[in-house]
This record gives sequence, C-alpha cells and structure tokens, in this order.
Amino acid sequence: MNYTNCGDFKTSYKKDTEIYQSLFSKISIYSFLVFLFILPFFIDDYFLYLLNIIMIAIIGAVGLNILTGITGLISLGQGAFVGVGAYAAGYISNKFGLNFILVIPIAGFITALVGMVFGIPSLRLKGLYLSIATLAAQFILEFVFIRAESITGGVTGLSLDYANFFNIHLDNDFKFYFFALLLTIILVTAAKNIVRTKIGRAFLSIRDNYIAAEAMGINIFQYKILSFGISSFYAGVAGAMWAYYVTIITPEHFTIGVSIQYLSMIIIGGLGKILGSIFGAIFITILPEILRFVADQFTSNFPFLTQAFASIREAAFGIVIILFLLFEPEGIVRRWNLIKAYFKLWPFSY
Amino acid sequence: MFQIVYAADKVTIGALVDLTGPTGDVGKPYADGIRDCVRYFNENGGVNGKEIDLLMVDYQYKIPQAIAAYKDFLRKKVVAIHGWGTGDTEALSKFITKDKIPYFSASYSEHITNPANNPYNFLVGVTYSDQARIALKFIKENGKKKTVAFVYNDTGFGRSPFFPDGEEYAKKIGVELVDKQVVDLKALDATSQLLNLSKAGAEYALVQETYMATSTILKDAKKLGVDTKFIGLNWTFGKTLIELAKDAAEGFYGTNPFALWEQTDVKGIQFLHDLNKKYNPDITYRKINYIQGFSSMYVLLSALNQTKGELTGENIKKTLESFKDFDTMGLTAPVTFTKDSHKGVNALKIYQIQNGKMVPVTDYISAE
Repeated sequence: MNYTNCGDFKTSYKKDTEIYQSLFSKISIYSFLVFLFILPFFIDDYFLYLLNIIMIAIIGAVGLNILTGITGLISLGQGAFVGVGAYAAGYISNKFGLNFILVIPIAGFITALVGMVFGIPSLRLKGLYLSIATLAAQFILEFVFIRAESITGGVTGLSLDYANFFNIHLDNDFKFYFFALLLTIILVTAAKNIVRTKIGRAFLSIRDNYIAAEAMGINIFQYKILSFGISSFYAGVAGAMWAYYVTIITPEHFTIGVSIQYLSMIIIGGLGKILGSIFGAIFITILPEILRFVADQFTSNFPFLTQAFASIREAAFGIVIILFLLFEPEGIVRRWNLIKAYFKLWPFSY
Repeated sequence: MFQIVYAADKVTIGALVDLTGPTGDVGKPYADGIRDCVRYFNENGGVNGKEIDLLMVDYQYKIPQAIAAYKDFLRKKVVAIHGWGTGDTEALSKFITKDKIPYFSASYSEHITNPANNPYNFLVGVTYSDQARIALKFIKENGKKKTVAFVYNDTGFGRSPFFPDGEEYAKKIGVELVDKQVVDLKALDATSQLLNLSKAGAEYALVQETYMATSTILKDAKKLGVDTKFIGLNWTFGKTLIELAKDAAEGFYGTNPFALWEQTDVKGIQFLHDLNKKYNPDITYRKINYIQGFSSMYVLLSALNQTKGELTGENIKKTLESFKDFDTMGLTAPVTFTKDSHKGVNALKIYQIQNGKMVPVTDYISAE
C-alpha cells in the first residue's frame, strides 16, 4: 500500500516506480547515508559489532525476501547457502590468494550456482512441499560442510586471513564497518532495482498467479531458477562477509536455526518488501541483545533470578514473534508506512 | 549510549555459559561451579585484594550471541574469559588471539590446545583425543579380541576425539578399529547402529555423546543383547546417566578426569561439601559438571592471584605457562601448562558403573 500526498499526481508508470518519490525522500535517504558514514566515529566496538552483524543479516535477508517474499518460493535453506558462500570465500582466498574484492563476488556466484541446482525442484513443488525440498538442501549442505574435509576443513573449520584492501587489513569492527556498509548499500540498491524492472515484475506475477504469468509469456522455470540464483547470490555474499569478519568458519555457524532466523526476519520485517528485510534483520539481531541487557539488569540486582530470567528470555523471543504475527502480519514495514503517513499530514489531518 | 563505569579496584571476568540452550543440562551445573568458585575467592581476599566481578552470559549455545557477548566483555575490560562449547570457542579463537585475552573453555578439542595457533586458549581437562587414547590403551591392556568401534555424533564435538587422532592411535598400538557408527545427540533409537556394530565384532565401543544419546545406546544394547562393552568419554559419564539408563548402565565405563561428589576422601571434594553446606544448605548432591566448572575456574583464578604486575593477557599467560603440577586439591590430576601445550591435564581414571555407583577401576592413566 502506498500513501502519497494529496495532489501528487503520477503521469506515467515510470514515475510510479521511482525510488525517490519526492525530493524530500531523496534528501532524507542521502542524509541518512551520510549519517551512517559518520556514525562509527562516535560509537564503541560493541555497537559497531552489532551494526556489522546487522548488515550481514540484511544482505542475507534481502536475498531471501527476493525468493520467498517476491517470488513466493519458500526456502528453509538460506542458512546453508550462507555457509556455501562462507566456505567458497575461505577456500578461494586460501587456495588462490585472491583479493577479497574478487573473492566475494566469486563466492556469490558459486553459491548462486548451488542455489540454482537446489532450486530445480521448485518447478514441480510449491508451498509446504518446496519448503521440505529446501530443508533437504539445508541438511545435504550441512553434511557436505562436515564431510568434504579437503575443501571445508571438516569439523576443525577453515581459517582465512583478514580482508586486505590496499594493505589496510580489515581486522577490527571499525574498518570492517565501512566495507560492510558500502557492500550493503550496493546490494540493497541492486535488489530495489531488480524488483522494479522486468525481472521483478515477472517474480511478482509468478507469486500472485503462476498460470496467468505463464499465459503472459513468462518462462516460469527460468524465472524461478533465476530467483533462486539471485537469492543465493545474496546469501553467498553474506556468507563471504561473515567469513571475512570472524575469519574462522565451522559448520556450527550454518545450521537450520540460522535458516529459520532468516525466515523470521523477512516475516517480521515484511514479506516482499526490501525495506522490510532491513527492518527484520535489525529487529531479529538486536532483540536477543536487548533481552540480554534487560536480564542482566535484573539478575545483577537479584542473582537468584538468573535461571528464571534465562528461561523468560527464551520465551520472550517467541512471544514477540507471535505478537507480531497477530497484530502486524504485514510486518514492521507496514507500521513504518503508517507512521510516515501520519506525519505527512501532521499536525492537521483531513 | 549506555556507558558502564567499572571501578578500578575490581577484576572483571567474563563467563559464557549455556543455561537454557541445547547443552543446558550440563551447562547449568557447570555455571554453578563457576559462580561458587568466584564467590569463594571473593570471600577470601579476591584476586590480590581486589574483588572479582563475574559477568555471566547465557549465550544459549549460539555462536553470534557468543561473539556479541565477547564484544561486550571487551567493552567492560575483562582480564580473562571462561567459555563453554566447541563452536563458540573456535569462532572466538582468532579474536582472543588478537585481543590477548586468556580463554578457558570446556571444549576439550585437541587442536585448540596448541599454543602455536591458539596462544590464549587453555583448558583444564583431558582433551577428547587423549581420552580416546587412554581408553584405547585400556582396551589394549584388558581386551581379549582387542577390537573397537567408534560411536559418535556427526558434529565437531563428536568427531574430535576419533578423526584422525583416535584412528591413528588405535593403529599405532594395535587395537583394530572394526566399525564407526553415527548416533545423533538427540537420538531415541540406536538399534540399527548397534546391530551393525555387534556384527562387525566390536569387543569395545568408544562413545562420544552426551547423556541422552548414551542412555539410548545403553538401553538399546541391553534390549538387543549386544555384548560389546561401552567406554564413554567425559560428557557421557555421570550420575545423570545412571538415572536415565537405570540398570542398562551397569558395567558402562567412563574416562573421567574429575573427582566425584561421593569421593569424600579427596580433599577438594570435602572442601566442596563444606562450601556447599555454607552457600547452598539445601543442596545435597552436585553433578560432575559442577566439579568441572569449579576446578576450571579455580585454576583460572589461582593464576590471576599469582600473576605479578598488571593483569594483562601476556602476564596471565606467562603465569599459566609456569604452572607445573598445580594442585587442584585432587579434583583433577595435577595441572601443567607449558609453552608448547595448553592441555592442562593429561591423566585420568577410568570408572565403571557397578551396582548403580561410579567406581574407579584404574589409577590415573596418562595418554603418553
């Protein structure tokens, strides 16, 4: 749903799909970006760490949203695809000594290929059935991570060097932040543009009515595989970034739990909305930290409550998700739009 | 932004524990052990007169949360960290090397004990690989057919003792490895694996699991009448297993590096009995994991106490590496760290469950 100002007339379809709907939105977006570039000079490592993790999550979630939210193909394998990207990055950078600027896109393309292979069943399978097929991808890939020891290092994991950008080693949160921010801006912009071009419209039509889409001349198989490819590319880049961030990759990072977390990000944020993936990624990443902060405050005053709070914290996570599904099934992004609409007319609504 | 100011007369220590995650059953008593140890030190002069501030974080066995907690620890200027599982210890290993934070953990994987790669990782316990070696040694001495099978879960934790260390050592000392079986940590059925194992003619089987899978294995083995003898590594062994598996646990062996609550003739155990009477009068039994957590923290805090000069990572590391036959009041074999090995303990006793009791059947055996 779009809330636009009264009197704001669109004279062409092109205008309707513009990213910057008004000069004001253009200014706010650019100033927000400038703010993001200045921010790290004022906060400490812990908050930088949170921002870095959030940006990695955003990339993975945007990818999953293209597949699940926009094309309507549910995937429970995003965590494993993130893993493929991480291992690909680790292996290539160790084996060939390439710079991370090359490694990251290569890792993305390798993951895209793997994702396309696992996407093949999507031609026949839909909904729950497809989710089980992608669940299989998750377990097969996890198995490969543990067993393909010559590539993945098995259970001991794979260790790689910090990313090296013209002899600047991205070995702390501060330096990594700028790299992650740039990459996130590029990839989110790309996703936004994919959605508003032919490919994106094809994805949407497949989601809304695949028979009609086919009748309109959209090659469903091709576009479904493409959607898997794009989504996995994003997952692969997220994985490669994670690899360069922790510089040690073990199979424990990429379990089914991670896949479910990505899925809950896009559900809470808003299915089918790029902005939704961003909100969801922020929310799901920060929630455990907030809960921990609250629990810490309580338990430092009442130590005997530690165990009780530990359990409440776990439950709180579930309760928050249920509350969201009950009261805001369209995600945080809808709430955001409502707030925006309110302030557009503030203080005098019609 | 929240800024928390910590007084300079305090020593801050971080602890990553799992209270509510998948390893919470063993993680909670372990955390109790850590907490009681810190309390004991605080009531007896702290670290060189400074009070210890323990920051305990329940990270639910999730790696991102472990890293988040770690970054938070750094912000609060911890001098050392006591960690927990395999995955998080490995994920943090590069960070702690860079930040020079001494890090104790309950993950007994051998590859993190090599100071060349992980100079700040320490562990008070016998590595999984050494436990497997000791068990194989035991088989070599006591077995008739001298055949062994490995039963494990397909994770870093499960594979760590056997591949490649256990496999190589079996070959070296002439114990024949006849079978390998994967049993999931949460398995409720191990019938087919046990039938295979028995068909392969395994006289002994080494088990690397936690309580739940182990009790499944023992119950199914009893049901099927498999006559293989099972030797479990440290996480399989404890009173909880007897409660879960009941009489199927009879005859089960465990490689156990820690003294048990019942062994009141051990000085450290008597000490813990007295401590618990004072701190927790309503608790009459402490699981082995409590003793584990206590002894690990005891070594860490003792090292801080003995560190000369400022409590920097380098100084603490130096102190720890000078530990030779450090006495943990008999809770473990004497602890030794050197510049070439951060293994801490390399000897243990093999126990057997007899009439529902855990009884040591050997003296301390060392891996070398």
